[in-house]
Amino acid sequence: MNFWLAVFRQAGRNLRQTWASQLMTFLTVSLSVLIFAFFYLVYTNTIGASDRLSEDIRLIVYLEEEPGTAMQEQLLRKINNFDKTEEIRFISKADAYKRFAEQLGDDSDVLADMPKDFLPASIEVIPLKGLRGFNQIKLFSEYLTQLPGSEKVQYGQEWMERFYYFTQLLTIVVLLSGTLLILTATFMVAYTIRLTIMGRHDELELLKLVGATNSYIRTPFLLEGILQGFMGSIIGLTALYALFRWISIHFSGPGLLNLFHFTFLQPIIVISIVFISIGLCTLGSFTSIQKFLKI
Amino acid sequence: METDNPIEALEVPENTMIEMIKVSRTYVPDITALSDISLTVDTGEMFFLIGRSGAGKTTLLKLICNMEVPSNGLIEVAGYNINNLKGKRLAHLRQKIGVAYQDFKLLDDRTVAENVAIAMEVSYKNPQAIRQTVRDLLEQLQLTDKHNTITGELSRGEQQRVALARAVANSPRLILVDEPTGNLDANTTERVMNLLNRRNKSGATIVIATHDPTIYQKGNHRILELRDGQIHSLTRSNGS
Ligand SMILES: Nc1ncnc2c1ncn2[C@@H]1O[C@H](COP(=O)(O)OP(=O)(O)OP(=O)(O)O)[C@@H](O)[C@H]1O
Ligand SMILES: [Mg+2]
Repeated sequence: MNFWLAVFRQAGRNLRQTWASQLMTFLTVSLSVLIFAFFYLVYTNTIGASDRLSEDIRLIVYLEEEPGTAMQEQLLRKINNFDKTEEIRFISKADAYKRFAEQLGDDSDVLADMPKDFLPASIEVIPLKGLRGFNQIKLFSEYLTQLPGSEKVQYGQEWMERFYYFTQLLTIVVLLSGTLLILTATFMVAYTIRLTIMGRHDELELLKLVGATNSYIRTPFLLEGILQGFMGSIIGLTALYALFRWISIHFSGPGLLNLFHFTFLQPIIVISIVFISIGLCTLGSFTSIQKFLKI
Repeated sequence: METDNPIEALEVPENTMIEMIKVSRTYVPDITALSDISLTVDTGEMFFLIGRSGAGKTTLLKLICNMEVPSNGLIEVAGYNINNLKGKRLAHLRQKIGVAYQDFKLLDDRTVAENVAIAMEVSYKNPQAIRQTVRDLLEQLQLTDKHNTITGELSRGEQQRVALARAVANSPRLILVDEPTGNLDANTTERVMNLLNRRNKSGATIVIATHDPTIYQKGNHRILELRDGQIHSLTRSNGS
């Protein structure tokens, strides 16, 4: 009881005495939480979008000519040899014509003069769900190109490639901003606490002389670290949430961004970020105060 | 005798508070502040340390409260080898030792009351008891009107008394006082000595380093005179 009374009074004094640098630290922690959480949010949304996109991934193998039944079976076997698939569909020239006409709808009369077999026959391959990494799709398509009678394989290569490198880049950015968060949280807090300790060196020395236990001296500083971590992450995340609301209000609606069903970070992630930043800040203050106590 | 174990410590004769055996303290490069001091102070004793300036009085007190470590020799306080104590044990022992430093070591930006309270706060006394004790002590030392004054604004004589109040506030078993009356008039000196005598009567062991003959010539005390870091004489006063 009296222990906590003393601890809170001491923490209050620390805050009063060094509020300017405390504020700086607090802002730095908030900002790094914001930066990290922002990139992480973009990352999860991109991953989400890429998952949704890859639901629709299909490889279309255009064939030189319409395969007979025997040929079809041979092709089926070959494709399944490479890998299991979700589905393989043969599309004859007539089917392709019919689909095209359907797609044109009212304008389908432009096709009237065309021969019914002007579109090539093709095979639609829908790969297994688990097998959807960009590199695997690429390998698969290379394999499909070598099938007998295959003319070319299409699956939106360029687009996928860009998307793939974008997610790679994002991963790196997330890792970097995560490191930034760790460094700022730990070192900034360690630094401010060291500043406080230096400013109150005489007092802390005296406390030791009159018999203050290490935990009596340490706890107020740990409390400060916890406070910094908690407040910093809460403010950082709140700012991100505000930004998120703003973006989803202003950029939702039709268009490319529809691809992204914006979702905010999951509660478990939010809680983890709060706890991790509390942990880091406490660690920072712990190392500083421990250095002092060892002397 | 090394006694790090509190159970063992209890076996040390209760009536010895301080035991020093062949203690030396040298400072770099070659200053010998104390050499070869052997000394026993009994529990409940009031013991005086005298000697010229630079004789080593302060150094001796600092060794007893573990503010300095001896270069050589053994120091036991209340049966503990004080230089082997660490962490919580050391803290708890220090709570039982009150020290009024020659340079006061007051927190100049805090009030008198806060300075006196510190010693009690670290042992988690309850706030009400702390307030009461602080008021009593300040009254005994004629500092009542300075209760809320910032310590840095006090005269040296006042600061000296605040330092003393802090030293005795937590009812320590051992009180070390370095030059308690250097800046005080006769009347205030007597108040200070009255306070220390009362504490002594209620069982505290007190060691006082002083230049002031008026305080050690009264009463019946042992007086250790240091000269150049060595024991010059150990006498007993037989004053009125
Ligand atoms: N930290 C230190 N570094 C170097 N020398 C020191 C240190 N502390 C004390 N000394 C030296 O040790 C000797 C004893 O000093 P001490 O302070 O114990 O004397 P004292 O008897 O208390 O003197 P005074 O009556 O003036 O207070 C002195 O020569 C002093 O210069
Ligand atoms: Mg001295």
